[in-house]
Amino acid sequence: MNTHKKHGFWHRFFFSLDHKDIGFQYMLTIFLMVSIGGFFAYVFRMHLAYPDMKVPLFGLVTNKDYNMLITNHGLIMMMWLALGMLLAVAGNFLIPIMIGTDDMAFPKLNKISYWFFLISVILMIASFFMKRGGFGGGWTMYPPLSVGDFGYNTPYKSFADRFFTANTFVLLAITFEFISLLMGGINFFVTTLNKRAKGMTLTRMPMTVWMINIASVLFMFSVGPLIAGAFMLLLDINVGTGFYDAYRGGDPLLWEHLFWFFGHPEVYVILLPPLGFLADIISNNSRKPLYGYRFILNLTLIAAILSMMVWAHHQFVSGIDPRAATIFSIFTIIISLPFAGIILAYIATIWKGNLRLSLPMKWALGSVTLFTLIGGFTGLYLGAAVFDIYAHNTSFVVAHFHYTLFPTVIFGSYAAFYYWFNKFTGKELNKFWGNVHFWLTFIFFNGFAFPLFLLGLAGQQRRIADYRQFEFLMQDPLPLYRKIATISAVILILSQFIFIINFFWSMKKGKKVSSENPWQSNTLEWQTSSPPPHGNFETYPVVYHGPYEYNHPDREKDFLPQNEK
Amino acid sequence: MNTSIKSWRNIPQARLAVWTLIAGEFVVFGGLIVMYILNRLKYESWGEMAQHTNVIAGTINTLVLLTSSYFVVKAHEAAIHKNKEKVKMWIWFTIICALLFLGIKSYEYTHEIMHGFTLPGKHLLAEGKHVETMYWSFYYTMTGLHGLHVIGGALALFFVMRHATKTGKDYHRLEAAGLYWHMVDIIWIFLFPLIYLIH
Amino acid sequence: MRIFPENASSYGANIDFIFWLITGVITVASIIVIFLILYPLLTKNKKRTKKEMYVKGIGFKDLKLIYLGIFILAVADFYFLYREMPYWTKIEESLPKKDLHVIIMGRQWLWEFTYPGPDGKLYTDDDVKSINQLYLPVNKVVHMDIQSYDVIHAVFIPNARFKQDALPGRNITRWVKMTKTGKFPLTCAEICGIGHANMKATVTVLSEKDFEKQLAKLYKK
Repeated sequence: MNTHKKHGFWHRFFFSLDHKDIGFQYMLTIFLMVSIGGFFAYVFRMHLAYPDMKVPLFGLVTNKDYNMLITNHGLIMMMWLALGMLLAVAGNFLIPIMIGTDDMAFPKLNKISYWFFLISVILMIASFFMKRGGFGGGWTMYPPLSVGDFGYNTPYKSFADRFFTANTFVLLAITFEFISLLMGGINFFVTTLNKRAKGMTLTRMPMTVWMINIASVLFMFSVGPLIAGAFMLLLDINVGTGFYDAYRGGDPLLWEHLFWFFGHPEVYVILLPPLGFLADIISNNSRKPLYGYRFILNLTLIAAILSMMVWAHHQFVSGIDPRAATIFSIFTIIISLPFAGIILAYIATIWKGNLRLSLPMKWALGSVTLFTLIGGFTGLYLGAAVFDIYAHNTSFVVAHFHYTLFPTVIFGSYAAFYYWFNKFTGKELNKFWGNVHFWLTFIFFNGFAFPLFLLGLAGQQRRIADYRQFEFLMQDPLPLYRKIATISAVILILSQFIFIINFFWSMKKGKKVSSENPWQSNTLEWQTSSPPPHGNFETYPVVYHGPYEYNHPDREKDFLPQNEK
Repeated sequence: MNTSIKSWRNIPQARLAVWTLIAGEFVVFGGLIVMYILNRLKYESWGEMAQHTNVIAGTINTLVLLTSSYFVVKAHEAAIHKNKEKVKMWIWFTIICALLFLGIKSYEYTHEIMHGFTLPGKHLLAEGKHVETMYWSFYYTMTGLHGLHVIGGALALFFVMRHATKTGKDYHRLEAAGLYWHMVDIIWIFLFPLIYLIH
Repeated sequence: MRIFPENASSYGANIDFIFWLITGVITVASIIVIFLILYPLLTKNKKRTKKEMYVKGIGFKDLKLIYLGIFILAVADFYFLYREMPYWTKIEESLPKKDLHVIIMGRQWLWEFTYPGPDGKLYTDDDVKSINQLYLPVNKVVHMDIQSYDVIHAVFIPNARFKQDALPGRNITRWVKMTKTGKFPLTCAEICGIGHANMKATVTVLSEKDFEKQLAKLYKK
């Protein structure tokens, strides 16, 4: 069936319609974006700890630079890394092969999605080089600040002057990216519903496929109003309408509502795909069936619906009606329950299992531990509206969302990388450097994010370029905390190079995988050759079992591939 | 690669995708309409502004779009029988309706801009009518965004029709494009009373 | 070493209490979760039969321990809500009878504070202003009209555990009652442009007599 000849570099990276190639293109583009976002983080963390120092590779950081760096760090990491890696890359690589089909339902649409994504990346990078400098209004882009020029006091003279600003470009970039992800989401949804292998009923799908699909649909339903809102903000910037101008009957709070109506479900859009990877990896490495498959699924759907009703907990002190805040506080606290159930089900999966502490499993356990113990539990502080009065917009919030996003997005992605690398390249990642990478990341992530909790409790507000002017923030030991955080962050960033080098080196020169199914996994992607051919399968598989039949009592070996009778 | 195995499920893929797209579009317009209604309830003076819209042109446009939906249904019927000539004819009728709609829309826009009701509303601002400019901002944003969808839908119909009539395959895509066209129509049915009729 | 800055308002202690309450409960919960994760790790090499391993968790009977976990968390959650909601009502929803009324206006990038003039009423011609210096009497309920001139700012007084965004075109009234005299920082907690970092003011809490003196000084200016 596989009659396709090998294509050259240009074809593979620019014109291929194969889902794996497109996934790889997404991945390289995102690696580029992450390097930029990571570099920004390095620069402003250095500036915070050593305010007078000329940061190596950047120079002296002014207030203007600082605002631009934190804003774009946030935007890149949230919009391009998290959404891109977990929806676009994971969806492209995994969905078709895990459901046992050759490609996406609409390969051309898939290609177009990637081109839109690339345009968005180009627009985003172009925005750094505008005449007035990069976008410096915070990644939440609250108007009226994002409508004007952040107080540089250089009034706009013409339409072109307004158009060629970072504000316009960032908004356009985000719009393009959303369109790209929407097209991708439609593609995933249709592919999953329509192209599953024979016998692959909905409840025989691996969790990863489920989660990416739920996330895509959730994304689609939450992003609509923000697209309309972004269109209105673009008009405000470029034409001079007054949608968010309080003096003309507009309302700055409207943007906050639109943004967080998207922004909070987005957190779950980001969280769900890693939960899917974790389900697959944990079940495989514990050699036990996933505990409560349907239960997890139901809880996820409940959480997805609830996530549309909690957005105003980002706005407790933003001037909304305090009585409304109470309602949102209740929903916010309630949403912790389904996630507690999911995490407990994962723990029940590893409970009394013969765990294999392989690299993906280490990342998975690290992810569950940090996400639950610190990321999840600190959410309770912020969900309780009263404490949020104090903690809102302090470093406490920064630490909290780094502890929720880093373990899921980064640890989850790494778990997936170390797990599926063997499949898509046919090579193995170097184990020793993999372990070094894991422990450095685990230790120094904590070293970076935990001091931020203490700083936040001491009253350190976010997004301040220079804390030296606040006496109460310069008392011992707060500057020390800042230095610990910075040094850890720098080591954390440097240790990611280990992975990058390991990744590309192993791809070229790594050890060939010993068998097609090195993890002895059940799911369909392991039942074809590694790397899979164009079209994925030599003969289309037929599915007889669920994806998590490990240690089935009737079987000799401890796993039971889905396509084995 | 064996392309004959497109799906084991036999759900028409294009239709499923377009339904998903329609759901997404409804959220976009839904957000916009909710914002408009909330503001409308807040500011009574918007009713006054709504009287400056051209209700007759709006009504004609509604009829034009409704007729075009009928043409799309006819085109779909012809597509089921793979009747090339009829498909061509009905789709062209639909596209003419779309152009007529856009023509009337631009006539309206010109008329309103000549009376000083522009998108940023500089004239109104000069008169000290701050809140009222927002009505026109919403008017242009909502109808403009809808207008873009009319153009998009018409283009989609055109290309799908050309592909189908040239190659004689993929007639089922006409149904998908037609579904999208109905959505454009329905959104207008929502916009028309909200913008033109409530004073 | 103290975790929070010194508390100087009537409701600061309530907010700190909620923090310690939640900390206490989640410490216990964390210990349980750590045990649940460590136990399988420590016993991973034990020989187990296939029957022991092949558990799938279907139906309430299998899942009852997880439901129990969710239920315990729900009880803890609602206990937090039950304890914190009265405080929220007290701090944000209600306005106790005022002794003084001031306007706090944020603008790029300074704070402008307005006090009632000799007639004792705000929004009249004889109001007096001070820049980046807020004078408050101790042990008095002060109503603050929080406003913004240009973009969104946020008033943040760490020692009072007080925070409120200032929105252009809106007047938001909140209250505070300082319980200690002294100088406290007031900062901006919402990004507002390149000068955001420099937007700081001082809250000087004075005894009633000193406060009258200070006001008289302002009237003279």
